[in-house]
Formats: sequence, C-alpha cells, structure tokens
Amino acid sequence: MDRIRFVIDGEVRTVERFDPTRTVLEYLRETEGRCGTKEGCAEGDCGACTVALGELVDGAVRHRAVNACILFLGAIDGKELVTVESLAKPEAPAHPVQQALVECHGSQCGFCTPGFVMSLYAVWREGDAPTRSGIEQALAGNLCRCTGYRPIVAAAERACAASDRSESRRVATAEQLRAIRPTEMLAIEQNGRRFLAPTGLDELAHLVLAHPDAVLLAGGTDVGLWVTKQQRRLPTVIYLGRVAGLADLAVGTDRIEIGAGVTYTDAMPVLAKYHPEIDGLLRRLGSVQIRNAGTIGGNIANGSPIGDSLPALIALGASLVLRRGPVERTLPLEDYFLAYRKTALAPGEFVARIRVPMAAADTRFRTYKIAKRFDQDISAVCAGFAVTIRADRVVDLRLAFGGMAGIPARARACEQALIGQPWTQAAVLAALPLLTQDFAPLSDMRASADYRARVAANLVRKFQIETSGAGPVGVLALAEAQP
Amino acid sequence: MIPITTASRVDGRLKVTGGARYAAEFAPAQDNVLHAVLVQSTIAAGRVASIDTARAKQVPGVVAIMTHENAPRIDLGKAGDMTPGFPLLQDDRVMFNGQHLAVAIATSFEAAQQAAQLVELHYNRDEATLLMSDNPTGTSVPQRFRNGMRPPASTRGTPQASFDAAAVKIDQIYRTPIEHHNPMEPHATLAEWQGDRLLVHNASQSVFGNRKALAGFFGLPEDNVRIVSPFVGGGFGSKGVSWPHITLAAMAAKLVGQPVKLVLTRRQMFTSNGYRPKTVQHVRLGADRDGRLTAVLHDGISQNSAYGEFSEPVGLASEMLYSCPNVAVTHRLSKVNQGLPTFMRAPGEASGVYALESAMDELAWALGMDPIELRLKNYADRDEHEDKPFSSKTLRACYEQGAAAFDWKRRVAQPRSMRDGRLLIGLGMATATYPVNRSEAAAKVRLQADGTAIVRCGSQDIGTGTYTVMAQLVGEHLGLPLDRVRAELGDTALPQAPVSGGSQSVASISPAIREACLAVRAQTLQLAAGDPASPLHGLDPEELDVADGRILQSAEKSRGETYQALLARQGRAAIEADGSAKPGEEKQKFSMHSFGAQFVEVAVDPDLGEVRVRRHVGAFAAGRIMNAKTGRSQMIGGIVFGMGMALTEATEVDPRSGRVTNATMADYLVPVHLDVPEIEVIMVAEQDDAVNPLGAKGIGELPTVGTAAAIANAVYHATGQRIRDLPIRPDKLIDGLSI
Repeated sequence: MDRIRFVIDGEVRTVERFDPTRTVLEYLRETEGRCGTKEGCAEGDCGACTVALGELVDGAVRHRAVNACILFLGAIDGKELVTVESLAKPEAPAHPVQQALVECHGSQCGFCTPGFVMSLYAVWREGDAPTRSGIEQALAGNLCRCTGYRPIVAAAERACAASDRSESRRVATAEQLRAIRPTEMLAIEQNGRRFLAPTGLDELAHLVLAHPDAVLLAGGTDVGLWVTKQQRRLPTVIYLGRVAGLADLAVGTDRIEIGAGVTYTDAMPVLAKYHPEIDGLLRRLGSVQIRNAGTIGGNIANGSPIGDSLPALIALGASLVLRRGPVERTLPLEDYFLAYRKTALAPGEFVARIRVPMAAADTRFRTYKIAKRFDQDISAVCAGFAVTIRADRVVDLRLAFGGMAGIPARARACEQALIGQPWTQAAVLAALPLLTQDFAPLSDMRASADYRARVAANLVRKFQIETSGAGPVGVLALAEAQP
Repeated sequence: MIPITTASRVDGRLKVTGGARYAAEFAPAQDNVLHAVLVQSTIAAGRVASIDTARAKQVPGVVAIMTHENAPRIDLGKAGDMTPGFPLLQDDRVMFNGQHLAVAIATSFEAAQQAAQLVELHYNRDEATLLMSDNPTGTSVPQRFRNGMRPPASTRGTPQASFDAAAVKIDQIYRTPIEHHNPMEPHATLAEWQGDRLLVHNASQSVFGNRKALAGFFGLPEDNVRIVSPFVGGGFGSKGVSWPHITLAAMAAKLVGQPVKLVLTRRQMFTSNGYRPKTVQHVRLGADRDGRLTAVLHDGISQNSAYGEFSEPVGLASEMLYSCPNVAVTHRLSKVNQGLPTFMRAPGEASGVYALESAMDELAWALGMDPIELRLKNYADRDEHEDKPFSSKTLRACYEQGAAAFDWKRRVAQPRSMRDGRLLIGLGMATATYPVNRSEAAAKVRLQADGTAIVRCGSQDIGTGTYTVMAQLVGEHLGLPLDRVRAELGDTALPQAPVSGGSQSVASISPAIREACLAVRAQTLQLAAGDPASPLHGLDPEELDVADGRILQSAEKSRGETYQALLARQGRAAIEADGSAKPGEEKQKFSMHSFGAQFVEVAVDPDLGEVRVRRHVGAFAAGRIMNAKTGRSQMIGGIVFGMGMALTEATEVDPRSGRVTNATMADYLVPVHLDVPEIEVIMVAEQDDAVNPLGAKGIGELPTVGTAAAIANAVYHATGQRIRDLPIRPDKLIDGLSI
C-alpha cells in the first residue's frame, strides 16, 4: 500500500506521494488550507496544534487529543482526524465547547484557542462527567499567555456540564473507519526517504533486521522533534503504531506485560491499579497530548535520560524483553541504559515488551517529581523508591533517580548500606552521605548540583518518614517536632 | 439584551472556530509566494569574513540567498527613532549570537529551511562581552532615555544625607533576569511589492509604526506602504517596534521580485524581537522610627545591546509612589553582545516595583510594622516628583478592599510562623502602579441604510478586546446591539491610531470613536427632526434619543422610527463622520496613574524548596472599566504574567557562546494552568473626569506590576528567606530551608 486513507469531516480522504516525515500540521495548513490549527512551537510543548484523532475501539469511535505538529502524516492512516474547523461549519451554531469559551472569555488573542477547543472537545466527547481534576489534566498540555487560564477552566466546566453529547455522525464514522482499516504494510517513499508501517510482529522483526539504521517511530513525541526542531532528515522510518500485538497489555499473577507500543494513556490505569503510587507521577508526565501519543517503550528505547517513568519502573524491578529477528532476550531495565543516549540495544534489535513485577505485600513504593513548573516541565530530580521490610529489617531497597546522572540510575552504595538495617531515620541519615558516591549531579538550568544533591537526600528521608509513620510528614516538620 | 459592559467579545466566534486569520495565514493574490528562513550567527562578536552559499543554492526550490553582499540597500536614517536599524544585512558586523546574517528564499518552507542550514559562514572573531555581570562595572548613561523626553536621573531634597542620617535603613541590591514575551503566535510577515507600492501582512502591535519604518527604509511616501494586521496572537510588547525580520521580508521580496513570507520559529523568538532586559537595582530606603520615609534612592542598571539603545525605566515609580522629601533615581546601561532589549508588559514598573516593593517589605520588617500600615503612613496624596495633583488616586481603597477580601488580618506577623501540615505558609502584599498613556487617534463611523454600523480605526487587537470596545462604543452611542456593529482595525488604510502598547489603546481611540459617533448621531437626529415624513418631525434634536436601533423622543419613547426607515426615505446609503482626539492639557495639569494592591498566599515545601501560589487577590483602580468581562480576563492574565516573572521565567544564556540555551516552550517556563491558583480581581470604583473624556485609564499592564514583589514578600513571610534575585526557584530557597 502506497497511500493513506483517513476520515475528515465525514469524508474518506486518500493521500499519496507525500514526504515521509511531513507532519499532520503541515498537511492541514498547507494542503488542506485549514489554518485553524496553529503552530506555536513545533515541538509539542504548547498545544496550539491540538487535533483529535478518532479510532475504532471495541467497535466504537474513541477520540483523543494529540499534537499535530510532531505527528507524522503516515500515522493517521485508518483514523479520523478532527480539527477545530470540523466542530462548527460557518453558518452552524458553535459547538458547546466553543460557545462556552466565548461566553467565559476564555479566548483573548485567540492563537492558543483552537488547541484548547480540541483538548476540551476530547474531554467533552470521551469523559462521562468530567471532574475538575479531569478538566485540569486535559488542559495541562495547552499554554495560554493571555487569559491566566481561569476563564478557560470556567468554560470547560460550563461546556462539560451540558449533558447532551450526541453527535449524529458517530455511527457513520465507525462504518467508515471499519472500511478503511489498514490490513497490509504501508510503504511511502519520496525524496529518497521511506515511511514503512508493518502490521505484524514478525514482519516488524524482519524489517528492523533488514534496516538496522532505521528510526523506529511510535508516538513521535521524541522522534517528531528530531525533524521539526533538529531538522534531521530520516532516511527510513519504521512506524510501530499498526503492529498487531505490540500494543497488547497483559496482566498476569506476578507481573504486568506492557507492549512497547502501548501509550502512556493506556498504560496508566493498569499501572495505577497495581501500583497506585505511580499515578500521580504519570499524571505529571508530559501532557494529555503527549501521553496519548507517547509510549513507555519509546521512552525507554530512545535512551532518554529524562523520562519520568524510568526511575519508578526501575524501583519496581521492571525488565525489558528485547527482540532481534526471531530471538528474544530479557534485561533488567537499569542495565539497559549505558550512558547518555546510549543503550544496550543491538543493531536490528527492538524493545518488544516491558515487564513490571507485582509488588510484594510488604514492599512500599513511592514516586517523586521535582520541577519548577507543575506540568510539562522536565524534572530537576525524579525518583522512584521501593523498600521491603521483613522482621524490622530492610531486605530489599531500590532507590532510583532521574536527573542525578546522564542516565536513570540506582543509588547502589546508599542502598547497600541500608540492607539489613532497621528502617529508621537514624539508619537513613547514616547512609545518606553515600549518595555522594552514587552521584555527582550537574548544575544546569533546571537546578544546581547542590540543589539536586540536597533534594535527593531529602527525598530519601521523606520516603523513610512516609513509609514508617502515618501519612505524608515533612522532613522539616519531623525534625522540629523532636526535642 | 445583555448589559453592554459585560458583553462577550465580538470576535469570539471567529477565534473559537479557527476562522480568525493571523499574519502567516494570508496568501498573495497570485499563488507565487516564496518562503524565507533566517540564517543566524553562531558567534557573538566579529565580522563576516565570507559566506559560501554554493551548497545552499543547490537545494531544489531555492531562489536566492540574501546576504549583506547582495541585499537591497536601504536608508537607515528615516525609519524612526524607535525602529531597530540593525541587523538588516547592510554590513558585515556581528554583534550577538543569533544575529541574522542571511535569508534563504525558496519555493517551500522546507527547502528554505534546508538551504539555511547549508549556508556556510566564516567569521573574523572579536572579543565579546557575553553576559551582563551581577555587579556591572563600566556602565554608561542612556543617551535617549524615554525617547529623550526626560533625563535619566532625578533628585529632590537631600537623599544621600538623609539616608545617611536615617534611623532605620534598608540597603539592598535586587536583580531581575532576561525575560522573553513569548506570545503564542510567532512573529510572521508576508511582504508583497506592487511596483513601488508595498503591501505587508504582519503580526503587529503598531501598523502605523510599521508603515513609517518601512517607508523610511525604502524611501517611499508613507501612502505607498500598507500594513494589514487584523488578528494578532499576543504581543506583550514584542510586536511593538518594527523588528528586522519585517524589513528583511520586504527586502527579500524586492530582491527576488515575488511575494515573500517569513515566519519566525519559536527558537528565533528568543533572538529576533527584543526582551525584558536583565536589571541590577540598588535600592536604599531611610525612615524614621515611626516608619516615615526620609530617603528613597533607586539606582538601576539595565542590560543593553552593543548597538542601539533601550533603557529599562525601573526607577520611575520610585519617584512618585510614596511621599518622601528626599528622592534620587538614576538609570544606567550595561552593554553586552546580545540583541536589543525592548518593552515587555509593564516595562520599567514590572522590574522596578519588584525592587521597590521588596525593599518596602524589608523596611516593614525592620520597623516591626504591618506592610499596609507602612504604605499608608507614606501615602502620597499628590505626585511629589512632578509636583502635581493626581487626576485620581484610589489606592487607599485598593488596600482596604484587597485586604478585606484576602483576610489579611489572619497574617501572623512573624516569619515562618504559619503552617499547613508540613508546608510553610506565607502572606505577602505589594503595591501596583502604572502610568496612564494616551496618544492622538482618529476614527470613522458609518451608519448604514440597513441599520448596521461600521467603525473603522487603525488600532490593533492583540487579544485585549479592541474590536469589542470599538463596537461597544458605537452600540452605546448609536443605540445599536453589538451584532449590528462591525469594527475594522489593524490596517493602515483605516484612520490612524497609535501603537497598542503602554495600556493606551482604549484611552486613545475611544475619544475619537466617541466623537465620530456623536457627529453621526447629531446628523441623524437633525435629519429626523427636519424630515416632514418622520414621526419626529418638528421636534428639537435635543429632545431626541437613540435606542434599540431607533431614533425616538426621549420623553415619549414609543414615538420614533428605525434608522432604516429614515435613511430609506432620505435616499441615503449611509451617514458617516470622522472623529479625532488627542491629549489636551490634562498632562500638564495632572499626574495620571492607575494603582492597585496585590495580595498573595504561598505554600513552600521546606523539604524541596518548591513554592506554590495558593491564592491571589488583586484590587485595581483604573478609572472606568469599559468591559467588565474582557477587563477581568485581562487582569487575571496580567497577574499570571507576574507569577511567571516571580517563580519560573528567565532566559538562560550560555556563558561560553552567548547563545540562548532555553529557547523553547519546554525550557522557558511560562506558567501552566496548574501553577495558577484561585485569583480574585476586584475592580475598585474610580471616577476620573480629567484623564480623558471616557475616564478610562488602561489595564493591560497594571496587574503585572507588584505581583512578583507580593510573591517574594510572601515567600519571606513563609520561610524567613529574602530572595532578591528573580525568579524564586527551588534551588535558591533550599539553602536556608535544609536542616
């Protein structure tokens, strides 16, 4: 197949011969002449380019908000593309979300507005009765420099309070999506570059082996920036989004297996069910748009040193299933990262699944994210800690940090010093100086080295306090309470 | 009918449906637009030794590479004092990292981008001063402070001697970093030549300013240049002056003989259109034991480029905010190899009041006095700097109403004394002030035979609601509902209006629109009274009024007729009138400022140094508020702008290269909505008959002023730590918090 098909405004659109790394935003603005979708940053940071993607899930259409600026056109094959223009034709009444934004004065300069409209549309469409916190999460990926956000939140509450969410086109759209469901490999070739989208795992394994230099593309939340920000020209892109089985999520008795193509949005409820502590962290990872597109597998595979999920997964004892041709091997997650952007992945090999063990009943697990801005901020320090205590002694301890080194890493010296010790403040205080053996953090614009070192130590103390006593008590508060 | 003063914005539907067209979305009549991409320097000082464009020209679709060697020559002398005359490819100088050195022009954006990467630049490097020091030496006195309208320093009384003799002294240095405006819409220009006429679609806060600049550069009569800018995706000062990319787009279009579109990338928004400069401010306050100020000394140094001049007027508020007989203010510049700074939301006051109001808080602590009490003790009933009465000043009510709404009295007057669980809680306040500006403006109003009206004025709507206020004024004066009024702006083909900056748009254009409306109305009433077929015939126009699209008798409202009926009978297509207005003698007679009081509650995590604003109350007195809905939203936005300044925003420069290292929306941290707490805005009633015919003072900038100081003061109250170096990031607090 050398063309893509997708649904837009109730019509099936066919596109052939396009640049393999053309973004959906460029396509909309330049080819379709639909300029409602804006480019504010071209890096997935501001949300002005938000569109909704409709997919068939259990026979019905499900919409999710994504950033069009870093989404390659080939990735929307077989889906429905909903833009701000789709919601209200010129003569028709505005959509309830749009109307509420007008009435609550949620738009000033208007440039971010279409993105907010689409983020809210996805909530309005998919949420049963969106809560305040649901609305706030939905808006985390949209920046506004004019309104101060409060009028937009008010508009969201107003729009979502309206109960009638019928859309006449939904059944017809489902039919159209069934009719254009991709069944065979897509191969777009232009300007000497290729976009390949296999449909099966074996086919994928074969392709990766045949093109060891190919860039594997999942959500594009990282790779998209290689093109839009670094202006790299990628000769061969292998898209993972249509590989059957790669997005499977299986819960067994002793572990959760997350396919490398599972998005953060899909993985979150499952991970949170068995490891509730991870939920708060994942809600601050990127934004809804980023989590709707981005995959845990992609974060790991690219060896990003700043992925917020990695310390938590390392603390949970996660391992990777890597596949090369027909051969699979497993590797503890912490052994996968070798150095900054350097991983243990062999040529022709790819991340197939992530295995997250179930925690033992006597294991206590916490995550922490320290950043200057609440949402959409790269962590200064990110941490995942797990401790297992038996007979008042520490029998297992995993203190994993992000932001303290070029790769996510465990504080091995500190951990070792605490094994066999009682889980007390005194024992932790005695072990903390070893953190300086474990890490020599850098100063950069996110934080000073000194801050990182102090906060890392305070987080371990905080963890001890939180897992020994009742509820979240501060280090300072506890110190002051003692004589 | 909706009460007109809370009307929703008239351009709301266009914006929420994606129908509003911004500069980058226009296309020339013929489908022959070319795309331009800027090539930027990678060194901070020196000269271009050579430029190799051979590889760039081989990219398919490339039409030309414009460099200083082949760029059209322009006249740098006539573009106006405010227009940056550099870098415009007129010579080989390199003055900062990121400076434009070439423009790649191609049939597609991608081709231009690829070509831009392939342009090879070779330099002869010079010594560069990359960063402004935290303790600058070798500073210089501004040559054109406030455009030459006043000297950069002022003194009254005996400030130094009074400070030396003061019973209680505060003597501190406060620093603010480089900040970038980051409007959501990147700057964009489409330039098209039609013979010796130039048509430019531009993201602009000043279409007439752009016209003057381009006419000057290209030696054209101003009438030959037309600038169009119907929608602007935010400006905050960054789209005020005519930045070089605008001129470069027009030069490129001239060079290749085709229309050229130039859209800045987000990264280029950190090198190409100004910024709020870094400041180092030395503030000294002297007071007697009762808290009466005996000396105020404010010495400001702000960053300037190695070319051009922009001076951040940080000390102006210190001259007039408090009553004090001995005041000295100075402004100096520190030149570095970076781009030219510019106006950014509340220029001068945002940075300067942070320093002054932090120092006032320090003085209150030193005196053991409530911060509001200290401010009331030194309340200025007249402007002691200009020695004039204020046209109006309702600051006392701002303190009172703000404090009441905030419940200021629950504050425990001891740092580190309020807790919420493990969090440290702090309450802080600060004063806000911003001058009232106004410029000459003209407008045209046309009442049409179909009973609708059009109001035309070459102002801009940068999100502030100018369209809405224009339509509203016509609605009010001609008795028309908003959906029967069309407002047109953002075009030099319309009557002239000033830059949308300095919070002056409403104050400037409203009197002109009002005048045009009154003229149309008078003509209309006259016509009706004089028309034998009108039910109003024979009445004195004084007895007539307009309402709901009708002309009627004031005393007998059922007697009247519609505009349509009158104009049809008269055979008139429209009744039209011009209006114009300019500032009168009020500026000589009065000191004109708006004022406010900011109240903030913060929570600080003592283990991590994280600061979260939990609540903000801002009480503002800014004369008449033209539209409560647009006004409230703008005030909240202004406060949040100040929150970013206080806690997260700073442009980072690599000390080795002078390159901006956080030139993305991921790394330059504007507030996200979860950083924004409950914000209460109180519009304190204020009548000002002197300031302008409508009594409106402007609100775009005032709410940003004082926000950072109030937050810094609250952080001190929470932690006992005074941060005198914005932004207040966790790593600056952790030292004093760790145990």
